[in-house]
Amino acid sequence: MPESSDEILASEGAEAAAPAAEAPPDGYQVRLDVFEGPLDLLLFLIRKKKIDIHDIPIAAITRDYLGYLERKTEINLDREAEFVFIAALLIYIKSQMLLPRETDLAESDDPRRVLVDRLLEYEKVKAACSLLREREDVQILQWKRDFLPPLPGESDLEPLELSSFDLAESFFRMMKRREADDTRIIRGREVPVEAKMKELVTLLEERHQIDFLEYFESSPSLEEALVSFFCLLELIKSRVAIAVQDALFQTIRVWLRKDPHRTAAHE
Amino acid sequence: MNESLKALVEALVFVSQEPVTLADLQAVAEGVPAEEIQAVLDELVREGEAEGRGIHVIRAGGGWLFSTKPAHDREVRRLLQIERKHRLSSAGLETLAAIAYRQPVTQSEISAIRGVDSTGALKTLLEKKLIKIVGRKKAPGNPLVYRTSDEFLLYLGLDSLDGLPSEAEIAKILEEEKAVEA
Repeated sequence: MPESSDEILASEGAEAAAPAAEAPPDGYQVRLDVFEGPLDLLLFLIRKKKIDIHDIPIAAITRDYLGYLERKTEINLDREAEFVFIAALLIYIKSQMLLPRETDLAESDDPRRVLVDRLLEYEKVKAACSLLREREDVQILQWKRDFLPPLPGESDLEPLELSSFDLAESFFRMMKRREADDTRIIRGREVPVEAKMKELVTLLEERHQIDFLEYFESSPSLEEALVSFFCLLELIKSRVAIAVQDALFQTIRVWLRKDPHRTAAHE
Repeated sequence: MNESLKALVEALVFVSQEPVTLADLQAVAEGVPAEEIQAVLDELVREGEAEGRGIHVIRAGGGWLFSTKPAHDREVRRLLQIERKHRLSSAGLETLAAIAYRQPVTQSEISAIRGVDSTGALKTLLEKKLIKIVGRKKAPGNPLVYRTSDEFLLYLGLDSLDGLPSEAEIAKILEEEKAVEA
């Protein structure tokens, strides 16, 4: 693609005060991965040349831009595509500007408009970032009480408030811990939910509180482990047990509700 | 200044793990007018600013809460044996800023502002609970719609979204950057 763009650029010869693409403009190398993206790179080039953002010499800036792309050694396909997209946009804009027109363009019809608007908006986001970073740097050093784990207030605690996102993460995390199990072999043994539920409740009565991750891991088979997870969900749903996970990826503490109205089915 | 009210409010702010609001305080301190509670809170904030105090009352996340001062970060971490908190990556912060200013916003809108695919950054911000999904947009593909969360306000020590740097402040930063380059 750079070849075809050179032709377009060449047709504009006179404006070629810009440095050639192969030689780094002023001797210093800039790594492409220091830029957050193509807009970041464009802004950098525009500022370096002290160009008025509202009147960008597209040919010169495109040449510089492509020069940076060509000096890139490693290729990350995802990011590359974004850089190439903006290169294509630049070339498209140049081609639009070269088209002969019968009447002069109104300012609002300037083909550069779409790019300029994006650059201006991005420039604002970047400036906001520097202000937010200052705030972050101060806040990050201040410790509030919310980082402390909540006190185990037992029955005062309301049942688990988690998004389905959290729940799914926890489930996959637990599954990962059991990855060693060979899931391809189907074992005959069945694990009845009722039995498992009874076992879980008995254990809870004995120990008062259990660490569910530990329990899950100690299950002799994957089936049992899975059934125990479903049992836990069932126990929470029927308001027999309370489960609390202090933070994502932490263990789930489970204890029995002291509530007398326990559902008869699980007694 | 109502000293006993001040002591009460201080106690209530202290025991709250989340920012305690004026309404929360009013509900507890029955019959005390909001202005009086407000005055006491302002006084607590002012007292906390004094040298020689290790904790201060700050206004953030829609209420008031206690926090340690930045100067003691290292020692606090040493006592509690915790790692230093990491700043957001620049991609993360950029994405967060785009959401903060353009919310409610979809993934493709954020990516368009940044010129870069932002799916990964969104996932990280969701995990850190700095943003939340508030629904789906009635547009082709019904994309998810994102907003910043209450944790976001606390994270940056903002009381509300109105506390975000204003257009004027942003314009000033841009002017300064240009002046440095010129």
